[in-house]
Amino acid sequence: MNEAARSFLRAIGAPLGAIALTMALGFLLVASITDEPVQAYRDLLFANFDSLGNFALFLNRATPLTLIALGVIFSFRAGVFNVGGEGQLYAGAIAATVVGVFFADLPAVILLPLAVAAGIAAGAFLGWIPGVLKVRLAVDEVVTTLMLNTIVLLFTSYLVNQVIRDTSAYGAVSRMVAKSIWLPPMPGVPGATSGFLVAVVLALVTWVVLFRTEWGAQLRAAGINLRFANAVGVPANRRIISAMLVAGGLAGLAGALYVLGIGHRFEQNFSPAYGLVGLTCALLARIHPIGALATALFYAMMLNGAAYMQISTDVPRSLVNLLTGLLVLLMTARLRKSGLRG
Amino acid sequence: MTDNDTILSLRGIAKTFGEKVALKRVDLDVRRGEVHVICGENGAGKSTLMNILAGIHQPSAGEIVLNGEPVRIPDPIAASAHGIGMVHQHFTLVPSMTVAENLFLGRQPRRLGLFSDRAAMVDRARELSLRYNFGLDPNAPVGQLSVGQRQRVEILKALAFDAKLLILDEPTAVLTPPEVDELLQVIDGLRARGRTILFITHKLREVKSVSDRVTVIRHGESISTHRTADVSEADIARDMVGRDVFLVGRKGDGAARSFGAPVLKLDRVSMTNSHGRLLLDAISFDVRAGEVMGIAGVDGNGQTELSEAIAGLMAIQGGAIELCGRDVTRASVAERQEAGLGFIPEDRLDRGLGVTMSVAENVAATNYSRAGILRHGFVDRGRLDAFAASKIKEFDVRGAQASTPVGWLSGGNMQKVVIARELERDPALLVVCQPTRGLDIGASEFVHERILAAADRGHAVLLISSELSEIFALSDRIGVMYSGRLMRVLDRAVADEATVGTLMNGGEAVAA
Repeated sequence: MNEAARSFLRAIGAPLGAIALTMALGFLLVASITDEPVQAYRDLLFANFDSLGNFALFLNRATPLTLIALGVIFSFRAGVFNVGGEGQLYAGAIAATVVGVFFADLPAVILLPLAVAAGIAAGAFLGWIPGVLKVRLAVDEVVTTLMLNTIVLLFTSYLVNQVIRDTSAYGAVSRMVAKSIWLPPMPGVPGATSGFLVAVVLALVTWVVLFRTEWGAQLRAAGINLRFANAVGVPANRRIISAMLVAGGLAGLAGALYVLGIGHRFEQNFSPAYGLVGLTCALLARIHPIGALATALFYAMMLNGAAYMQISTDVPRSLVNLLTGLLVLLMTARLRKSGLRG
Repeated sequence: MTDNDTILSLRGIAKTFGEKVALKRVDLDVRRGEVHVICGENGAGKSTLMNILAGIHQPSAGEIVLNGEPVRIPDPIAASAHGIGMVHQHFTLVPSMTVAENLFLGRQPRRLGLFSDRAAMVDRARELSLRYNFGLDPNAPVGQLSVGQRQRVEILKALAFDAKLLILDEPTAVLTPPEVDELLQVIDGLRARGRTILFITHKLREVKSVSDRVTVIRHGESISTHRTADVSEADIARDMVGRDVFLVGRKGDGAARSFGAPVLKLDRVSMTNSHGRLLLDAISFDVRAGEVMGIAGVDGNGQTELSEAIAGLMAIQGGAIELCGRDVTRASVAERQEAGLGFIPEDRLDRGLGVTMSVAENVAATNYSRAGILRHGFVDRGRLDAFAASKIKEFDVRGAQASTPVGWLSGGNMQKVVIARELERDPALLVVCQPTRGLDIGASEFVHERILAAADRGHAVLLISSELSEIFALSDRIGVMYSGRLMRVLDRAVADEATVGTLMNGGEAVAA
């Protein structure tokens, strides 16, 4: 146990160090542009916890980030550089919306699972395409997932503007989904989606699946060395496609839960690049599901905190982009102890 | 001995990695113009020592004296500047670049000091290849060369650098016997031109034939230095292992063996690549239970394709493969494993192991349910570690714990992990490819014992090796491959090295 604790400390030591250093450097920057650096920093870090309302928004922000990061972890562990989180998220959101709008008459016990399933299926389908193309035709997945992002974004734009637009509302938003299937808020935190609980549970499930099942071991073997996986009889191609199905499904679920729990409708620009930020969360957590939950919470705190900071002081919210960029730099460029062996 | 005779002296070199002691104390004197062999088991510290000389590692203690001057070698560029050239055990080539580009990577001939002069580069590469009889096409992409040819590029790269002191880290590990002989001649030529060569090997035949002196390293310490002429192979082996070594084999044990029914049957197996070139040409043979069938041949004559066809990793275009009475011609790898296949691939790092995964995960890879590691469908970490620990003990995998990344182990210990995994299934057929490539005496002995023990338990063994001594020591029958054809299958009793050697080069043997 002692050994395990030590290795755990080692594993989180570097990220915590990088975060601390980022914050310190960021503080110098803030001090140089405002008279109230302490106030600005307090808002950035702690305004999320000032009120229950702020806290709810913080959890709502963390939910899609966590789910997308978990999806990215599945694909990366299988050796697929899946950057299609954004497209899969949009596909899940639009699919859940379409079901929720057009089948509003169905009873909630049927409609809710149907909407969620539609979101998962749409995202999974979007993950399946690059997976199959990579396995069967060796098409580079970075290209296909990036291209699919654009296709899906434009396609959902068409749908929301031409097919399911709510003409009474301002902006490119769809009609509301049936109120019967709105997710209940989290117990004790009104305004926070209970989707966050789903994300937390799925983070644990992801860890178990990847590290405590034979299926997960096979998936990781395929990701680490495909030729090795093939030689030991792992159906590597099937595992890679499955990983992409799960990855897309999780991002699609993020979209569906956003619609059902937060937006209640499809909004054209509902995502502040959740796909990309989720990817960053996964990488910062070194593609570990529990770590990704932590990094997603951290990013949610920074993203929302920046808004509060901008309101109360004259520090622009884009500071947070700078800080997160700095963090990525410090994380990836962290000093390594030379561990080469002869 | 005066300082003038000594090009390189090491005084009390030690090296630790964290808590692991790689070198305790090494003293070494290399005389100008000699071929000096460093011998030792895997994990003895040979590679660490050479990496210190090449500037890759810094010694924790001790002194390096080069040409009478104490020097520091902070990095490989400094090593080059000191005239030390290194040929690494694992290839350091860019597969997508041509032979010529690899040879002059980072030091291309320039035109006007700016543009790389391809013509001059290709000419010089061709001239180098000719000078050393390497038969390399300077314009061939390295990725398309055979393992043996790549090794020659690697050696040529160091020779091209015109180093005064050339370090060869197990250069013959992947070469065929004729290629080894050619290399040994090249080394002779270099010595005649006054170069000094530090040669790491554990093949005693090479030690005897090429070197002037030999230094044995064991457990990170230099044990002895002798004039090669004064010691026998057995003396060197004893110094390396620290005890007397018995070379195992079936040759001459006189036991009459009877074999069971055929376990593996190949019937006119043919394979063509995407360009229509015939890689396997109607190969038919059987391997019977309890028998070791050896396949000899120069690297790149279809042995790799043969092994991958049997293992289910490459599709065949004609013929049939039968395993334990089941037609597995179109079966997946997993189905063949189910039918009784065990497969030890020729490249541990490529096919055999997931090097960044732990020893436990590698040894368990195909054995989760078989070894009772799963509980209610989930991996039980305690059982996984216990299984790994039992295999580490049973197969004497040194320096390993269950959670150690397998890539941290030495070649011999990695191979033990592969063998442990494949034998766990108790396979009816064991396909073993180049099982001791890059392994030292102790580890080779262990691997050979395991292969023979498997055959004695009634398993059929197909041994594919370009190491003739290995084929002869272990096989009951010997097949020879040349250019994708199985030239002939000989009984061990009637096979001799001359016959097999002729067949390996495509000639019809006189002794029919």
